[in-house]
Order: sequence, then C-alpha cells, then structure tokens
Amino acid sequence: MKFHWFAEATYPHLPDDFPARGLSSWVSTPRDLADPVKVGETYRMFIRLMQQADRDGFDGLAVNEHHQTPFAMTPSPNLLAASLASTTENAAILIIGDSLALYNPPTRVAEEIAYLDCLSGGRVIAGFVFGTPMDSVFAYGNPPPELRERFHEARKLILRAWEAKEPFAFNGKYTQLRYVNAWPKPIQARPPIWVPGSGSLETWDLVIDENYCYGHLSFSGLHSAKPMVDAYWEYVAGRGGDMNPHRMAFTQLICCAATDAEAEAKYYEAVRYFYRMNTLDPAFTMAPGYTSIRSQKAMAEHVRNAPNLRPEDRARAAKGEMSFWEYDEKGYIIAGTPQRVRQRLRELAVDLRIGQLIGCLHMGNLSEETASENTHLFGTQVIPHLRDLWADQPDHWTPVVSQRRIAARAQAQREAAE
Amino acid sequence: MIAGRMQVAGFDVRVWNGGDGPTLVYLHGFEQHPGDAPFLNDLARARRVVAPEHPGFGSSSGFECLCDLQDLILYYRAFVENLGAAPVDVIGHGLGGMFAAELAILAPERVNRLVLVAPYGLWLDDTPLPDPFTMGPPALASAKWADPAHAGLETSAFDGAGGDSRAEFRAINLTAASKFMWPIPDRGLARRLPYLSTPTLVIHGEADALVPPAYEAAWAAVVPRARFARIADAGHLPMFEARDEFLALVDKFLD
Repeated sequence: MKFHWFAEATYPHLPDDFPARGLSSWVSTPRDLADPVKVGETYRMFIRLMQQADRDGFDGLAVNEHHQTPFAMTPSPNLLAASLASTTENAAILIIGDSLALYNPPTRVAEEIAYLDCLSGGRVIAGFVFGTPMDSVFAYGNPPPELRERFHEARKLILRAWEAKEPFAFNGKYTQLRYVNAWPKPIQARPPIWVPGSGSLETWDLVIDENYCYGHLSFSGLHSAKPMVDAYWEYVAGRGGDMNPHRMAFTQLICCAATDAEAEAKYYEAVRYFYRMNTLDPAFTMAPGYTSIRSQKAMAEHVRNAPNLRPEDRARAAKGEMSFWEYDEKGYIIAGTPQRVRQRLRELAVDLRIGQLIGCLHMGNLSEETASENTHLFGTQVIPHLRDLWADQPDHWTPVVSQRRIAARAQAQREAAE
Repeated sequence: MIAGRMQVAGFDVRVWNGGDGPTLVYLHGFEQHPGDAPFLNDLARARRVVAPEHPGFGSSSGFECLCDLQDLILYYRAFVENLGAAPVDVIGHGLGGMFAAELAILAPERVNRLVLVAPYGLWLDDTPLPDPFTMGPPALASAKWADPAHAGLETSAFDGAGGDSRAEFRAINLTAASKFMWPIPDRGLARRLPYLSTPTLVIHGEADALVPPAYEAAWAAVVPRARFARIADAGHLPMFEARDEFLALVDKFLD
C-alpha cells in the first residue's frame, strides 16, 4: 500500500466569526480577509512539510488545484509541484490534479507535466480533474454542459502530445492547433494518470476504460464514502475492470500523537477550523448540467445508503459541532497514537479496497510543529507497518523511479537497524 | 394549444400548435416552455401560433448537435421554412428573444415582424445582469415578478412524462440554457444587430429584475428604428402577469 502526503493549502488566519457572517469560502470570499505576506509564509510551511515527508518515507507528495478560495490557495498545482520537484528525492509528485478544461490551450498541461517529470527525474503522477463547480463553472466560467467535453478533448490532446513522434495538427471543437510538438518530452513515456471523482458514473466508465487510478477525494471519511466506494468496485467488477486496489485513492485526515489525549489537545481546534471555515454557499455548489441526471440519482442513493452517517451528522460536522472523538468515530478523522492510527487505517483500506492513501497530515490552522510531528510519526511508525497491505498486487499507478528509490531506502534502513 | 412533435433537420422537438391565419412563432425563455398557456391561446384566436420547445429543453432532442449559437439559428431557419412559404411573425421571450433576433438577422426574408420580450443578448458593464443560475427560489421569484404572489399564473410544459420530476425538468432546461447564457448571456448579438432590418417591438416589464428595463437603452443604441414599450405592473413575464396589456401591445404591433 502507498501513502501520499497532502494538505489543502488553507489560509489559517480567517476571523473566528467567518461562518457566522454568512460568508462563502468559495468564489466570492472577500479578498481582504487574507494578508498576502501570511499567505507566503503558509506556502513556505507547506513546502517545508512536504520536503520532510519525502525524507520520512512517504510515497508521494500531493498537490491540487482550486480557485478563488481560502480553503485551498493553490490556483496552479504545477507551481507547488515545481517547488517540490527540485528539492525532493524519492517521493512521487502527485498532481491531483490539473483542471484540464481550464487550460487554454491544454498543451500547457502536457508541457508543464513534462517539465516537472524532467525536473523530478521521472517522478510525476498526472492527475486530470474536472474541477469542482466552484472552480470550473463559476470561477472559470465554463458552461456546465461543455465541461466534460472540453476535459476529454484536452485529455486526448495531452496524451497525443506526449506520445507523438513528430508534429501533428489537432482540429478539436474547442482547441485548434496546427503544430503540436510539445517540448520537452516527459521522462516517463506516459506518466501514470489519476482521475478523481465524486461518484459520477461517466467518470467511473472513463477510469475503467482507460485503467486510470480513480480517486475518491472527500473529507468525510469511511462512513460517508462506504456506499459509493462499494458501488464503485461493484461497477468495476460488473464491467470486468481491473480490481487492483492500487488503482483506488482515498483522502483521510490524520491526527497522530504520542497519546490519544495529546492528539485531542493538539488537533481539535485545527480539525474544527478545517470544517467550520469551509462554508459552501449553495449557489456555487451545484450548477445545472455539471452532474448528469443519471449520476445525480446514483449519488443521492449513496447518501441515503450511509447508515452510519445521518444528514444531521454531516451538518454538525460541517459546523464544527462534533467532539474530537465523534469526528474520529464518524470517520472524518483518524486520530490517536500511531498504533491506533495504523489499526484504523488497515480496517479502512481493507474495507474500501484502497491501495493509495492520500493522508491529510495538516489541516485548517494546525501549527507547523504539530504537522511536522504528525508527518514524522506517520512516516516512521504507521507506514512501515502497513506495507504488507496489497503487497501481492502490482502497482502500475505510481512512478517506477519512486517505487525503486523508496524500497531501496527502506531496505537500507532495515539493514542499518539490524 | 395542442402539443405534438416536429422533426426538422435531425432535431425532434415538442411543439404546441393552435389557431388559423398568419403564422406566429413563439420562442420561450430560459426556464421552460409555457405549454398550453392562456396567452398563447389568446394569440391563436386570430393567428396560427406555433410554439416549439428549444432543443435540449424538456423532451426536445438535438442539444448534442449544437456547438454554438449559429448551429441553433440555422436549425430555427429550417424550422420556420418548414412552416410554409410565407414569412412569419416571431415573438421571443428572454433567451428566446436572443434567438428570435438572431433568426431575423440570419433570415430576414423569413421574418415579417419581431417582438422581443425582456430579451437576453446584450450586456451593459454599468448594469450587469444578475446571474439567474445562482438564485435560490425566493430570490428568483422576487426578481421575476412585480408581485411574487403572481407566480401561480405561470404555466409549464412539464407533464411528468417519462417519470421525470419537476426538479429534473428544470435541471434539463437550465443545462440547455446555460449553453447560451453561461457565464454571461452575451454571444455577440450586439455586433450583428446593425444588420437587423425586420420591424421590431421591444417590450420590458417595469419590475423585471432579471432583464431590467435599463436594457431598453442598449437595444435603442443598436436598433434605433425599433419601437419600445414598457408594461407597468409586470416583471420578467408580462405575458402572464399583465396578459391584457401584453396582448394589446402585441396585437397592435402585428395587425
């Protein structure tokens, strides 16, 4: 099983009454609420933490794309990826991902990922995302019924740009280019491709057809995800797709400490900040045509089928009204000693058939010191104990270079210890 | 009005037909086709009224054939040609107003007279139109109606056929509308309006907060020969909210 370090690059200094003021944390958030100098300090903190994660044995460093939000201030994941590609050695650079419909022309993605692959020595994972409604149709203005079509046209253009032996013409509906000849080529002939989704059947078909790694990137944990992830695997099996757990990624907030009591003391405020300050204005969370009617029905069914997570629980979690251990019990976080965390993660991974865990090792307004401790405990006392999971199955969805280097490093450490 | 279907140029759409006489085509707004609406029946007393549902709305097909506005207007030219040799009058409401104006520009020989009711299509930086896609039901009702208590007057083409819910019907319609209205309902009509030669009446409801009457000036600037009328106690749907006044204006202009 593989473990990737991730954090939403959240602005950590929002006023406490931000939710009470009825402000949206997406699309229309007042820009004066953030001090750009402090934003810069936050970026530097994340870069340091991810460099540490590389040293502490993580398999990947995950970066993502969001727009017009203090929840995740990474408008271009490729920029953060570039900071990491040249200052880390082993871990994959997991771009999860570039919002293909928002790049014009999309050859920009082919070029930048190739740049990052060259810079990192072949360690890039190319995540392709549709983007949330807030990102892709509100902040970036794509008509919702065009989004998927634009995504697929861009995806085909990018793949061809990586593979082509000579310049080619591309006559698309949304992009026309007479001379596509992307420089440089990536080191990996075709970087591994991951596509996250939130339950759309069209996305399931895509990852099955192309054998991409699928990502269920929610922050609501096991109980929320269970009906949908089960339905996903059933769908894969029904279509005769590849059941390898390494092609399923899942996000999970992690709160490791020396004792359970210490975990509560160190993380509770940050966990509440993470959920409370993510105030989704209903006007921006859905757009007509963003999700097909067929998928909306299927997704509504999954929500109804979550017996261990009632709608009232979801509302209380979003408002920061759960106790620390209730967040843990409901699956929003996995907290406590490394022993407890690895036990719970093992159950989660087996239950949901997950081979790629994207651990959120920093959340909300957590201090760098605690996030660093979290990273170290997880890297040294959780990851090594879960390596046996799915070890019998090949992982075609992380870069070979990272797999080799991380395995060699672990081997060297074992030998040094003996 | 009698509901039926019509096949034109590979599109298969629902159409409401009624009356006899010179042909009047009604192009509905962004939310829905009004179905068997009282104002359409009134109009059909002295005319043949043909009210198609736009491709992609309700159960009308062909949305996947549309890449841009030109594709849709070429379809509407074929639709009008299919109605007979004589040119037709066209009423377009809201988004349908944008389509109607484009049709008259593309096929002036096919359009006799044009009535635009609270038409979309133009944009004023100083008076940005509100975004109807982000409005909750209360905000939308207050923007649409002079008196939100009139909301019950609006009729709908929703018939529950196929087991779809009203919410699905609305989602289908707004998805199709977003193709031409998202993120800003301006697809370049202002550049083409100088070619509009069809006699045109532009009607605004005084209380319309979706397409405010301030847009009258925008139309006047590019279509100086058009006639303009405002209806005092009406919002975005004067054909429902002030039906008599609406019909009087239309009858006077068309007859």
